[in-house]
Amino acid sequence: MLNLFEREKLELETLSQEQTAINVEHLDLWFGNKQVLDDVSMRIPKHQITAFIGQSGCGKSTLISSFNRMNDLIDGCRYRGSIEIDGRDINHPRENVARLRANVGMVFQRPNPFPMSIYDNVCYGLKLQGMNLRRALDDAVEQALRDAALWDEVKDRLFESANILSGGQQQRLVFARALALQPEILLLDEPTSALDPLTTLYIEELMINLKKRCTVVIVTHNMQQAARVSDYTAFINQGRLIEYADSDSLFTMPRKKQTEDYITGRYG
Amino acid sequence: MPRLLNRVYNPTQRQSLAISASASMVAILLLTLMSIIGFILIRGSAYFWPLDIYTLTYANSQTGVTAQAFAQIRDESMRAPLIMQSGEQGAIKQRTEEQNWWLSYVVEGRVTLSRELLDPANVLSVSKNPNVAEITLTNGETVLANPLFKTPTQTQRQALSNLQEARVNVDYLQQQIESVRRAHLSPIHEELAEFDRLGVANDAPARVRLTQQFYEHQQTIQQYQQQLAQYTLEVVDAQGNVSVLMLSELEHIDFSNQLNTLGKVWVSVSRIWAFLSDEPKQANTAGGVFPALFGTILMVLLMTLIVTPFGVLAAIYLSEYAPNNLMTAALRIGVSNMAGVPSIVYGVFGLGFFIYAIGGSIDSLFYADKLPSPTFGAPGLFWASLTMALLTLPVVVVATEEGLQRVPSGIRASSYALGATKIETIWYTVLPIASPGIMTGVILAIARAAGEVAPLMLVGAVKFAPTLPVDGEFPFLHLERQFMHLGVFIYDGAFHSQTDSQGSSMMFAACLLLLLCVFGLNLIAINLRARLRKRYTQGA
Repeated sequence: MLNLFEREKLELETLSQEQTAINVEHLDLWFGNKQVLDDVSMRIPKHQITAFIGQSGCGKSTLISSFNRMNDLIDGCRYRGSIEIDGRDINHPRENVARLRANVGMVFQRPNPFPMSIYDNVCYGLKLQGMNLRRALDDAVEQALRDAALWDEVKDRLFESANILSGGQQQRLVFARALALQPEILLLDEPTSALDPLTTLYIEELMINLKKRCTVVIVTHNMQQAARVSDYTAFINQGRLIEYADSDSLFTMPRKKQTEDYITGRYG
Repeated sequence: MPRLLNRVYNPTQRQSLAISASASMVAILLLTLMSIIGFILIRGSAYFWPLDIYTLTYANSQTGVTAQAFAQIRDESMRAPLIMQSGEQGAIKQRTEEQNWWLSYVVEGRVTLSRELLDPANVLSVSKNPNVAEITLTNGETVLANPLFKTPTQTQRQALSNLQEARVNVDYLQQQIESVRRAHLSPIHEELAEFDRLGVANDAPARVRLTQQFYEHQQTIQQYQQQLAQYTLEVVDAQGNVSVLMLSELEHIDFSNQLNTLGKVWVSVSRIWAFLSDEPKQANTAGGVFPALFGTILMVLLMTLIVTPFGVLAAIYLSEYAPNNLMTAALRIGVSNMAGVPSIVYGVFGLGFFIYAIGGSIDSLFYADKLPSPTFGAPGLFWASLTMALLTLPVVVVATEEGLQRVPSGIRASSYALGATKIETIWYTVLPIASPGIMTGVILAIARAAGEVAPLMLVGAVKFAPTLPVDGEFPFLHLERQFMHLGVFIYDGAFHSQTDSQGSSMMFAACLLLLLCVFGLNLIAINLRARLRKRYTQGA
């Protein structure tokens, strides 16, 4: 009998090439002499929300940052293993990192709009891509702000400084800035931990709407949030991927003892 | 020591002792600052204030002969009001000390002004005559005399009200002379010089014709000058001796004794304007300081144009690209220490390296036809600006680096995450946010460069420059020319001051101007920084 309430689950281990957004294979990563990621292998499905949970310093942020090579900015960072996006190994030395980052957007924990107007903030990435037509930019800005559910609040003051916005508005502006580039993958590094519950709700809705357009990967400390919004959840501990399954099964019947301890609050 | 204090005072008393000790130092600082500014302000502005002219009857200390002269107490302008008027008929009470009087009388048909130290015992009487005027001549001299006017057409003496009319004629004649000189005489001069260079014979027809023209034009000028000589001003000194001044050599006439306070303010304003816009006269002891003011500002602006990109680029490399190793640390320490190098060392370096080495090479490469007279191989505006840029470079580098490091890492990360390359991130986000820091560096650099004198005297600033570094001749900005600088002007004037106190009071005015100039340049930069700060303020 067809179960209408159960979401259809993909078999993570046997995900096909078309269904995979990011394919991580045997990824090791060091900061200096300290190993931060230890033999991580996983396939992140397309057009789904995948959450990374784990205690602070376990390497989940490092893992998400390696999907758009933000770790390159850190001195003494080395890595081994491959990360494939669209069948291309992004760790290849000849990879165009700027283009990769335009395609794999990222939103950080603290809202950090540039000190320019709201309009210029949203245009930033587009202008870097060489888009200069005023009308095209206008349309893209409006669309991105609508996608980020911010348009109605700022449409009358697009050319005022982004610094006058509230924290929640700033974070949505940062979403709009990333969405303007039409990324295939959106990486969210604890995007709601600095925000109030209502704004958090806004952003969670936003994430669910985004699923249609792109693959979302989110790092969160908030287990309820992971259970609420994500389709798949990965638990990471001390640089290792401990358990990776669809969220319903991971939160209701974890297979590993460590995962169970963590999600029930006995650990970490 | 602290233990002793502990025993003598209770904690509250110790607290107030600490406050009063530190506050008194601030009080001393404030006092010093105010006295410097107050002193310069009073002495500097006194230079412009029109002084009363006294008719002085005095006995010559050597000969004992009684004489009369128009006189001013000039160099002690702050003490001048001590001569007070009292009684009905303007009898003037005198002070008992010896005083410096500036006396004006006619010597050999020419009215002059000279300084004499008079014993009050020799001063027989002092009074004020409203008709006496302070007359400033075009060569910068001032004399005190009773002016009577004469025009060329009427032999009778004319009233002074006709003066303005006559001056229009004089100006017209002078313009005529000038235009003949510029339009005809100087081209002929140049052509003759060209003939000399080519070795054209003295009796060549072209040359003879030119010489002919030359004499014709000179005759025209002589005619104009004869007309000009008819416009004269007769002046009379206190003894009744008459002297004749050409109207063309007259700058302006101030009847100081007839002026009320408002009138004096008005005269002061016009003198301040003349001071700012005129050329120096009488070997930098009279006239104005326009070339020096112009040179100072131009040098500082050029310096800013050179040092800002240079310093900012260096700071960007040091802060954003340089690997974090011992070499970079050593470089940073070296840059900071450059700020402590005595400025004269920069002057010597500029002279030896920029002027002789680089300038000399430029000359031998590009201006070989003009050698041995140097073009860039001599001190000049460009080398002075370059030397000053080098001198202020560490300030800009250090301030810019600080500004760059204050840019939040989240902003950089966001920029990278939107697909910006490193250079795009620096250009579009980091530099705008760091711009107030950069401006701080530029402000400090301007303040330092505008006040610096020692290195400038080696690399291009001179006591007197015949031409401005900017004029209507191509290429308009003449970087190789020497220029005048307010600081050098003051330094030069300070040597005069031991013998000539009029010069010294002009130096105070120049000091005041230099102060205002530095303040003004800083104010512009601070204003700019405030705007940038408002525009690129970080955070919510």
